[in-house]
Amino acid sequence: MGIYGGQNMKQTKNVKLLFSVLLFAAVVSSNACAKGRIDMTEKMKDSIVYLQISYCGYEQYQPWKNKDITEGWGVGCAIAENQVITTAYNVANAAVIKAKRFGQNEFIPAKIKIVDYESNLALIELDPNALKKALVPLKFNAKYEKGIEVNFYWLSSTVQAYSGRGYLDRASVDSYSIAFSRTLNFVAANISDLTGNGQLYCIGTEPLGIACWSNSNKEAGIIPAEVINRFISDENDDTYNGTGAVGFLTTRLLDPALRKYLKLPQQIQNGVYVSDVYTIGTGSDVLKTGDVLVSIDGFELNSYGRFIHPKYDALFFDYLITGKTAGEKITFNLWRDGKSEKIEALVKNFDVSQMLVPWYDLDSQPQYFIIGGCILQKLTKTYLEARGADWAGKAEPHIYNYLLNEAFKPTETRKAIIVLSYVLPGNINLGYHGLSQLVIDNINGMKIRSMKDIPVALTLNPETKYDVIEFELDQPKIILDRATMQSANLTIAKTYGIDKSANIK
Amino acid sequence: MKKILLVLTALLPAGICPAQPPDISKSVVMIQTVKQGYDYTTPWKQKSTTAGTGSGFIIAGNRILTNAHNISDNRYIIIKKENIAKKYPANVEFIGHDCDLAVLKVYDESFFDGTESLDFGDLPKVNSTVSTYGFPLGGAHFSVTEGVISRIQTDVYVHSGADSHLVIQTDAAINPGNSGGPVMQDGKVIGVAFQGMLAAENIGYMIPTTVIKHFLQDVNDGRYDGFDSLGITLFTGLHNDSYKDFLKIPADTQGIVVISVMLNSSAETILQKDDCITRIDNYDIDNDGMIMIYGTKHHMSEAIEQKQIGQAVTLTYWRNGQKNTTELPIQLNRPVFEYARLYDDPPHYVCFAGLTFISASRNFLETWGRDWIKDIPHILRYLFSDSQQLNKDRLRKEYVILSEILPDEINAYGDSFLNKPLESINDTPVRSLDDVKKAFENKDADFYILKFMNSDSPLPIEAKKAHQRNEIILEKYNVPTWAFTEDKI
Repeated sequence: MGIYGGQNMKQTKNVKLLFSVLLFAAVVSSNACAKGRIDMTEKMKDSIVYLQISYCGYEQYQPWKNKDITEGWGVGCAIAENQVITTAYNVANAAVIKAKRFGQNEFIPAKIKIVDYESNLALIELDPNALKKALVPLKFNAKYEKGIEVNFYWLSSTVQAYSGRGYLDRASVDSYSIAFSRTLNFVAANISDLTGNGQLYCIGTEPLGIACWSNSNKEAGIIPAEVINRFISDENDDTYNGTGAVGFLTTRLLDPALRKYLKLPQQIQNGVYVSDVYTIGTGSDVLKTGDVLVSIDGFELNSYGRFIHPKYDALFFDYLITGKTAGEKITFNLWRDGKSEKIEALVKNFDVSQMLVPWYDLDSQPQYFIIGGCILQKLTKTYLEARGADWAGKAEPHIYNYLLNEAFKPTETRKAIIVLSYVLPGNINLGYHGLSQLVIDNINGMKIRSMKDIPVALTLNPETKYDVIEFELDQPKIILDRATMQSANLTIAKTYGIDKSANIK
Repeated sequence: MKKILLVLTALLPAGICPAQPPDISKSVVMIQTVKQGYDYTTPWKQKSTTAGTGSGFIIAGNRILTNAHNISDNRYIIIKKENIAKKYPANVEFIGHDCDLAVLKVYDESFFDGTESLDFGDLPKVNSTVSTYGFPLGGAHFSVTEGVISRIQTDVYVHSGADSHLVIQTDAAINPGNSGGPVMQDGKVIGVAFQGMLAAENIGYMIPTTVIKHFLQDVNDGRYDGFDSLGITLFTGLHNDSYKDFLKIPADTQGIVVISVMLNSSAETILQKDDCITRIDNYDIDNDGMIMIYGTKHHMSEAIEQKQIGQAVTLTYWRNGQKNTTELPIQLNRPVFEYARLYDDPPHYVCFAGLTFISASRNFLETWGRDWIKDIPHILRYLFSDSQQLNKDRLRKEYVILSEILPDEINAYGDSFLNKPLESINDTPVRSLDDVKKAFENKDADFYILKFMNSDSPLPIEAKKAHQRNEIILEKYNVPTWAFTEDKI
């Protein structure tokens, strides 16, 4: 099928023919290539929209407050008459999204239908009643071809259609933007404009993907067709399953002494060492620390953890998991305890909120609970990042350690890390001012496993006069008087302008 | 707030005599030092030499008192008197890095001809006038500045970076080169000028005589032991009536709450978490942890600062509604990951098969540069900050870190373990460099399996090959000996 569906089948064939001629010409002269460039700018006017996005997330250190409103923009690529896709990062913490379509002056209200920060894709629905003329859906069908010219298209805020070009340099699996997963991106080189907001990339007439990042080396990342198509088809059935997430950590297996120590036989020349296994994600239920991961689904892993993909050449093994939809089957070949083993498992994923320390906390209010002026808050990476530049070096090491070493290891007894973020000074907490960034161990003797435990723990020991909050690492206790608590909470809320004393999901 | 040490450029002195008695120019000397510290990553190497100038003064017994930072890591010391060209070599008799004081000896006893020793006074009054003497930058002469005492409080001594004692703040100009010089009032020394504040003007600090006298008393037995502590962490939470009531402390009682007791400290068997200390010796402790001493409020540590190691303090504390009194012997109580900077002594190490192991220290962390506290690897920052809570191993002497790999075929794959703390060798826990030495001395195993903290993959070293390569590596990289640890004679 061509990009414009049945109506243009013929044209597509012609283009393909033209294309092979063009490739041939390229060998002879690069000038010929430029002359023969297929410019789809005109055609794309009905398939791409300009998205104007107003952002307003939440303050991490005063979580009852919104941040100042900021503005941004992105490109939406039509996949249905009133649906477009863009990068998830474009719409993170979006408060309002408005679209502009070529040939229409009015803004078209738009809202997010589904967002997946791991695939970095968002499906945006445009109000069909406000859309004067239906969009022409695109089909992402272009095949990866190393070195080929790519063209990209976008619509400006003045609904002017623009284009640019570059070369498809490589396929790469890495962690981009804010995702914890390493996913497949194509990388375009020598691009004529910086693209990173969802600009549509095409090979000839065929859509290849949408732009998700670019850098000063004139490189751009493209979310490829296969990721987009899986996202769309996943979304089409009743539930969105999401892509697989890796549930373990590996390290290189280069050292011959380590191979000897692990008693790896001569015929196993490759593989990576499983150095940590999480409690969530693919493989977390079947792999063990100390395993040597030899192959996944028959693809042999080299000592750096890469395999040879038939189309994309060497990629990190993560692709064999993040390139699948949760629920699919996966096969691990291992070297374990001195012998080979084959393990069948299911591709798993998890919502970021299931992590012990969520990698990002977007689009929603941070979870917190204020009692006697003490702000108790769920630890997320977003919370730590609010410290600004060098946040990792500024974060208290005990707290940072949970992010670095425990983030992917929630358990039944520990589903979240709750920290005392700050003490809002008031009479009830006199003497505790200045305590902050401490990890809560228990409240009234009850171990705090998640935010939901806090209100439960506060009802314990009704016969006693005080609520007792205890922290990890030999920190001082906080003792709060129950008799004056209610009035103190009111006073503090009024003094500091807090309209909502808790947000627990 | 950033503080800067006051020791800098060498300047030539010429003659002036301040008019007030006694003639201070007969007592104050210039100290010129050549220094050379150690490289804490590859500890058998020494850094390049630096030269500096500071001040000092003559005290009873033909000794010279100065700052430790003037003569730490010294390789050569020269003393000069005002108006006399002759340079007198000297050496360090005693040095206290925790209190930034040192006593020097001059080889040539004739040096003291015509000099006058200075006596010590007590703590000065705030707003009283003082004079500072020394050889600061900005000219070649012996210099005098005058100012008033601004305040007296407990503060960090930046030379060690970890120890806090009483300091006297003055607005008398104290500049680089003044360090070690006397601050005088009514003909007596009331302090030793030692540090200033970079961000502020007219804030200079001196070491009060309470600290100086402690130091001089300590060295009377021929050895410097250092300042001691109780080995407990305290919290000023009793401002809160609920907290006080929860701990069953009478409403009219003030004090400070114990929140942790250091492993292996003298307090370990005596005090526990949630004890509330209300009195130390003859001083009542208030809710800020302060006591009334020298006519004003100072931190309760001041009561301990007056004691020498091995002496005891009497503590009154509340536990479970009961008032108790106990004797608590005081000792050094240093954390397992030493906070203070180290000087003078060559650092211990083990360098086996090119793998260089050192004891974790602030000096090692400071090799990361100015922003070391932010730039060091997480695990080192975690241990530096929280080792007192994280270390549950009573036998641990130090944390052993893989600081450097001298490249060779035997260790070609060790890079990812660099800067990590070593946990065990062949499942025997590593609690000191000596444990590392012993483990590698054992030649029975085929492999040495090194496990590191925060790292789930082991580093296996083939034992036989490692011993073969070891000699070659030591020679190639000029490492004088493979193991320089406590046990070495």
